[in-house]
Amino acid sequence: MNYPFWIVPHIGSGWVIGLIAIFHIMISHFAVGGGLYLPLAERKALRENRRDWLETLRGHSKFFLILTGVFGAVSGVGIWFSIGLANPEATSTLIHNFVFAWAIEWVFFMIELSTAAVYYYTWGRIPHELHIKVGYVYAVTSLFTLIIINGILAFMLTPSDAWLAVAGTGAEASRFWQAFFNPTYWPSLVLRTLVCISLAGIWALVTCSRIDGAKNPSLKTSLVRWSAKWLIPSYLLLPFALAWYLWQVPESQRFLLQLGMSTAAPGMFTQLTRMSLLIVLSSVTLVGVVYLLAWRTPEKFRFSQAVVVLFLGLVATAAGEYSREMLRKPYVVGQHMFSNGVRRGDVDKFNQEGYLTHSPWVTTTSSTLDQGQIMFRGQCMACHTADSYRSMRGLLGERNRDSIASLLKILHDYKPDSPYRAYMPPLVGTAGEISALSDYLTTLGSPAK
Amino acid sequence: MKTFINSIYGWADARLGLEELSHFARKKTVPEHAHSFWYYWGGLSLFFFLVQAFTGILLLLYYRPGPEAFESVRQITYEMHFGWLIRSTHSWAANLMVFAVFVHMFSVFFMKAYRSPREFGWWSGLVLLMVVMVFGFSGYLLPMNELAYFATKVGLEIPASTPIIGPKIAELVRGGLEVNEVTVQRFFALHVVVLPAVFAVLLGFHLWLVQKHGNALPPSEEAKPAQERKTVPFFPNFLMKDLAVWLVALNILAVLAAVFPWELGQPADALKPAPQGIHPEWYFMSQFQVLKVLGDWMPGAVGEIAGILLFNVCLVLWFLVPLYDTSRESGRRARRVTWLGLVALIALIITTIWGYAVL
Repeated sequence: MNYPFWIVPHIGSGWVIGLIAIFHIMISHFAVGGGLYLPLAERKALRENRRDWLETLRGHSKFFLILTGVFGAVSGVGIWFSIGLANPEATSTLIHNFVFAWAIEWVFFMIELSTAAVYYYTWGRIPHELHIKVGYVYAVTSLFTLIIINGILAFMLTPSDAWLAVAGTGAEASRFWQAFFNPTYWPSLVLRTLVCISLAGIWALVTCSRIDGAKNPSLKTSLVRWSAKWLIPSYLLLPFALAWYLWQVPESQRFLLQLGMSTAAPGMFTQLTRMSLLIVLSSVTLVGVVYLLAWRTPEKFRFSQAVVVLFLGLVATAAGEYSREMLRKPYVVGQHMFSNGVRRGDVDKFNQEGYLTHSPWVTTTSSTLDQGQIMFRGQCMACHTADSYRSMRGLLGERNRDSIASLLKILHDYKPDSPYRAYMPPLVGTAGEISALSDYLTTLGSPAK
Repeated sequence: MKTFINSIYGWADARLGLEELSHFARKKTVPEHAHSFWYYWGGLSLFFFLVQAFTGILLLLYYRPGPEAFESVRQITYEMHFGWLIRSTHSWAANLMVFAVFVHMFSVFFMKAYRSPREFGWWSGLVLLMVVMVFGFSGYLLPMNELAYFATKVGLEIPASTPIIGPKIAELVRGGLEVNEVTVQRFFALHVVVLPAVFAVLLGFHLWLVQKHGNALPPSEEAKPAQERKTVPFFPNFLMKDLAVWLVALNILAVLAAVFPWELGQPADALKPAPQGIHPEWYFMSQFQVLKVLGDWMPGAVGEIAGILLFNVCLVLWFLVPLYDTSRESGRRARRVTWLGLVALIALIITTIWGYAVL
């Protein structure tokens, strides 16, 4: 709470991270899966004496290099910037716990970028066997970047009991391995690897769709069909991997899904369920469309159809990432830090000493409304905007000040049966601070006259 | 197992003539060219109609027209398992269906697919479009929320302004002088009994015509020698692509229903003032805006009558296009009609955007 607030009008800071992250995941997972696709395709071409494949693979490796090396790298840095601005407390926690892991990841990342360039620029300049080996070096290093970042991402949902036992004591780094290989680490790694493999196939279909099927029917048919096969492992194993993943998720978080399933309604409380349904539907659609358009008539598979396949992949990926984020609610680091950056262990302290007394953004001369605004920025704005996405204006509607104060009391009391508890952090602060927030929120709503 | 399936198939074939059907489907071809994309929009319209029928039947299980209309929709949305999904899908599919029918109509128009011998296809298609729009208008009121109530009230004032017969027609539709529970009952009967019956007959006729005459070729393809034109078998090639397009459409529908669930709104209250910015659905926005503009130029009933006259003249002209632009040889007439279509399309888009801009 000592960091400045990042106010993003209309969409909120969360969506800035979300948009960059979805774009990044489509590319970074391709970087891992595509890294395996290229040497395996090259090896197959040489073994089966399909020399005509090599020229297409060369073109695909150029596309791969530009997409992953430029857009993937830039969007990856974009995530760093945006999470640092939107949720500095959580970012700080991650850095303090995993700085060493990140350092290792960056080493692999450097090797990954270098080998991707070497792989492309040495087509036809070094022996094929050596060229394939360069491809394998790339594949292994890019897989390691996933192996490392997966530990950190999974940690945010399930930081492990061992790490939670020392959280906030300064001894967190001593539980590095338990935090890294946390309960959802392995299912998450399997899930992500499967996604990487299918994205390799999807992006390869984009390249293959540009082959002239009338001039090279055999080349196009063989490459399109081989690329389409890359979707098979995912769709056979994904349901099992997903079930394993959910089995490892704490009961309290799994309840969010069940809550949505049983009381699905158009409020924010069921977004997780809605997105989960989308993952299933988009994935099934994706397989159906690839079968009907690419597998059945490969020589006529067009670029526009490949873009549709890519779009479906984007929907499935976006829904998957959104669901993963929502599954963590109301935490940003499971059972430790709430989504607004307030640590679970600090709740009582803030309630007794005051939230604003620990904030450098309030002075003794700040007005009540100013104090209320800082409370809003500190505790609500991680998820809500004033008038657009999850708009306070819309949510408060015609509530008057008393009604708003009653609502805030429910959020502050945070009783076990509170319906808000499933998704929202507790509201912390003294009675005076909460009253100031009531005053401020009254100015945002449209109280009934 | 295979022998068993074959014997079942043989038994059914002897009684239903499945083999003839299969032979016919394989023999039927669809042209393949640079504009083939537009052939899918008729099928898409049909797909959205099927979604409408399916979700509409599910909604019927719990919807109660009359005084409890809003409450029953509230229960569907908040209490029934996946009721929100069915309702959202129904509402979004309705909008997508209207959109698909519009795209289909304009693609048919610009490909000159209304020319002989396909005139009846054009006319039946236009009547289907109008039925679809009445479907939309009647369905809009059924939740009986604030927005639907006032939008219907305003919407029915338009036919009411027609001289002599207008007030009587509006009263007949409303079931009285005001929009109320009786109107909901009437709209409900129209929406779930009358319109589906009319639609089914018209759709059957339209599909039979499409089947009889096949897909029309755009002028650029017609100009090519017959041996240069390409075709693909309807079954399985075209049908499989059609299925893929339907799957993608289903996915888009799911994204819209899941990410932007249809709002329930506030219950209608006739004693409350109309909320600001009352407007019809987007597919009536063009006419709504034209009427507003004409009303400003010619205050009172004169503006509304002028508007209704204008719409009717345009509609009649649109209907008569196949009788004016009759054949490949029509040259100048063909170009004029293409320009007319472009002007109509641009006017429709501009007035719709304009309508939303000045809300």
